Amino acid sequence: MSLYKIKDLDSLRRHVYAAMQLEHATIPIYLTALYSIVPGTNSEGYHIIRAVAVEEMLHLTLVCNLMNAIGGKTDLTTPGFTPNYPAHLPDGEKDFMAGLHPFSPEAIETFLKIERPASLNHGESNKRHRPRKGSMLSAGHTGDADEEHFFSIGEFYKAIETGLDDLYAEIGDALFSGDPSLQVGPEYYYSGGGGLIPVTDMASAKAALDLIAEQGEGITGEIFDEDGEIAHYYRFQQLLLGRFYREGDQPDHPTGGPVEVDWASVYPIKSNAKVTDFPAGSDVRAAAEAFNVGYAQYLGLLTRAFNGEPNLLVDAVGEMFRLKDFAYQLIRQPIGDGSTFNAAPTFEINLA
Amino acid sequence: MTVQSSDRFSIDPDVAASSQFDAVVIGSGVSGALIAKRLGLQGLKVLVVEAGSGNDITVSDYDENVFRFYGAASKDNNAAYYNPKNAPMPRDFENVRLRDGEINDRGYLVQKGPFEIDSTYSRVLGGTTRHWEGKALRMLPDDFRMNSLFGHGRDWPIGYDELEPYYCQAEAELGVSGDVEDQQYGGLTFGEDGYVLPMHKMPASYLDQVLARDVDGMTVELAEERFELKVRTTPQARNGIPNKNYAAGAGFVPNGAVSVHQAEMGERCQGNTNCVPICPVQAKYDARRTLVQAMATGNVVLLARTVASKVLVDGVTGHITGIEAKTYDHPDLTGSTTRVFKARTYVLAANAVENARLMLASGLPGLNGLMGRNLMDHGYLLTWALMPKPIGVMRGPVCTSGIEDIRTGKYRRNMAAVRFSIHNDGWGWATGGPYSDLYDAVDRDNLYGGALRQGLIDTVARQVLIDCMIEIPADPGNRITVDPRYVDQLGNMRPVVCFDLPQYTLETVAFSRRLTKQIYQRVGAKDHSSYDPMAPGWVTHNGEGYVVRGGNHWAGTHLMGSSAVDSVVNDRQQSWEHPNLYLAGAGSMPTIGTANTTLTLAAICLRTAEDIIARLTASAIAPAVGA
Repeated sequence: MSLYKIKDLDSLRRHVYAAMQLEHATIPIYLTALYSIVPGTNSEGYHIIRAVAVEEMLHLTLVCNLMNAIGGKTDLTTPGFTPNYPAHLPDGEKDFMAGLHPFSPEAIETFLKIERPASLNHGESNKRHRPRKGSMLSAGHTGDADEEHFFSIGEFYKAIETGLDDLYAEIGDALFSGDPSLQVGPEYYYSGGGGLIPVTDMASAKAALDLIAEQGEGITGEIFDEDGEIAHYYRFQQLLLGRFYREGDQPDHPTGGPVEVDWASVYPIKSNAKVTDFPAGSDVRAAAEAFNVGYAQYLGLLTRAFNGEPNLLVDAVGEMFRLKDFAYQLIRQPIGDGSTFNAAPTFEINLA
Repeated sequence: MTVQSSDRFSIDPDVAASSQFDAVVIGSGVSGALIAKRLGLQGLKVLVVEAGSGNDITVSDYDENVFRFYGAASKDNNAAYYNPKNAPMPRDFENVRLRDGEINDRGYLVQKGPFEIDSTYSRVLGGTTRHWEGKALRMLPDDFRMNSLFGHGRDWPIGYDELEPYYCQAEAELGVSGDVEDQQYGGLTFGEDGYVLPMHKMPASYLDQVLARDVDGMTVELAEERFELKVRTTPQARNGIPNKNYAAGAGFVPNGAVSVHQAEMGERCQGNTNCVPICPVQAKYDARRTLVQAMATGNVVLLARTVASKVLVDGVTGHITGIEAKTYDHPDLTGSTTRVFKARTYVLAANAVENARLMLASGLPGLNGLMGRNLMDHGYLLTWALMPKPIGVMRGPVCTSGIEDIRTGKYRRNMAAVRFSIHNDGWGWATGGPYSDLYDAVDRDNLYGGALRQGLIDTVARQVLIDCMIEIPADPGNRITVDPRYVDQLGNMRPVVCFDLPQYTLETVAFSRRLTKQIYQRVGAKDHSSYDPMAPGWVTHNGEGYVVRGGNHWAGTHLMGSSAVDSVVNDRQQSWEHPNLYLAGAGSMPTIGTANTTLTLAAICLRTAEDIIARLTASAIAPAVGA
């Protein structure tokens, strides 16, 4: 999708839709790595990936609240909502693709690239800086002078905030024309490290954007934030460096105790597997197709939840357990095509 | 195991021994943790001493326990925890049916009987709340006046109304899920108008709803009083949906998993049903939550792998001058260092058994000889049946509902009070199911393949268990003592248990069996309850035999009263004889009614914390003015 400076409600909604796609797109990536870990091993690796994945889910929900607040459509079943992995992540660099990989040094390197604190342009406000991951948008491809190029997701959300400000100056509270009963609050959604914020006006919209931004890296790239919480980038890096960080450590030089990582206790899943990689007529292929159907239904359930039935988020949690079971069934199963690889969910969902 | 887990919070034992604290708290369970937190918030310096390893602060360490549980062949209530030789825990499978005069000293507890209690406790960070189920029931107003009202047991020196505000505080500290509307029975009152519990009730399970269809409205007549039964949800200290109206609209944020880093876990119960002995996702409250909050004040430090061995007293003034404790190097190997820890005030919070054990081992039975006496627990009669159709077993917390309507009444003049819990985890507690169901299906019924799968569904999926939790009143003959013949590896004398069930309780055992038979008939379930005369806990009453199980609610061993003549501590849990010593926990409770002890002991400990703070800050403020 190409994005242009926000001039009207329509382009604001396009930006927010892109944010929805973005927050969702890393979830299959994290879940694939997460579920490839043999249960009972790699506790630290498991928990950091899980924590980040859960946070992305919170961000997705916040963005849907924002979309609903500005009268946009929250439809996770739109063709193309889920990327076709591996997806290019142009954040100014084209040196990596983010795809579905087993837990491995390569996967963690990708997560680092996604989470990496980028250097800031001077003059950028620190507030919206969230250099945790590159944009998954295809901005920056064509040569149109007006098209936006996002070097970081922080910039992207800043563009949304600026758009909100500009539009609010023009049309005032009419900007928040959405039905407030569609908002999802903390009683139906929990976890993600922050209370979910219903968005009904400018203040709550900014609070929601703040929450997404603050959960990212600190602008200085500090290892520990003021609460003593380690930043995601450095928590992932501990896995590669094999040591825990302690307060006072310099970046790239942790001096704490050893981190137990067992790269061998990982199911040998095929990276970026596609349904067509599995033998025609095999149980594995049928299971992979059924997973995609299940995941598409799950996105449908979420869509209903964001469109007036927030209580369905409780059912959605049950669905996630079913999908997790399903994913493990695939991940434990050799493909049976003569290779040494195991199967994996392919997340080929309603591709554009 | 992550080395850094206790780094931020632990103190070097030599440093601790050369420091003067405001308070030394023995035990990191819920009593000790709540007191330490309240004191720490006031700027008082607290040392918490814990017998266990103290390692379980990170999620990784916690997961080790989860996987130990998964891999354990015997899923007893301490199965998740490593049992170190230097701080051993009682295990329920150590119990045997005692013959006349026989003493069972196979395990850590020495049981002299005649009745063998299969109750246990956990000597780990967070104490027994690590393995508890999480029920958060209040005692009833009548329970505080058992002697005056019914002529049995004791009276508390305070009443329900005085303790009620502390119940509300305890419900906040533990994070209780429940609906006040469901708790309108037995004279219970809740705070001011509009009080709600922090989180909404755990929803009634399908089984609860099926039973309710036939149980609701059933009547029972006891001592000429008529009771109407109703299946009600049970408040529990487990994370659920926060109640927006809590604290006048301020709401409630559930505390999830304890972790050094962001863990994103435990903010909601997932229904894993193995709450006992361990919640895989940390949705259940355990005292590490409070402990971590205590340590976050910056004024509380932890010394783990340290077992208190002696309370040192000034013979003239009765003041405690220090607590001697042994720090072991390795969980199982011999080798420990003995040090003395000093503070302005001392709190024993190691549970009813260990508190009494320590005092008696220190030569402090009290002038009235009551230390260790009046040991109480709840006696559980288990009853179990097969429902006509599958009822969704093994989902949800262990218990979501119970029958509370008979928790008090005139009948208590003649027999003990009782409440009933409906179990979502099948027959496990009674028969060792579903594992025993598998053995039976394969070994006895010769099933395999599809027939085996269906056979298991036919039994396990229809299992219902109703437990009858029966009160045991205080009796000085039921007691904890010590004996130099029975020592542990560190050289500490082990607790010796002498216990018997009174007729008062046995009457209710028999009544409960009759009532549950009726309930099963009413709901069309086939009763499978049976009691083995060879099992520990076997009792007979009027020619019938039953097996009574322990509730793990040890209480009464240092009970509170209004005078030093007939009690050990005052209503603030301060020792009558040693003014700078508090004995905290269920040991102070003169009655236990039909409520799991944790919520009540939390309430009295919060009250105790107030008292300690008042005494310590007053004496700090008034240095030279008088004495």
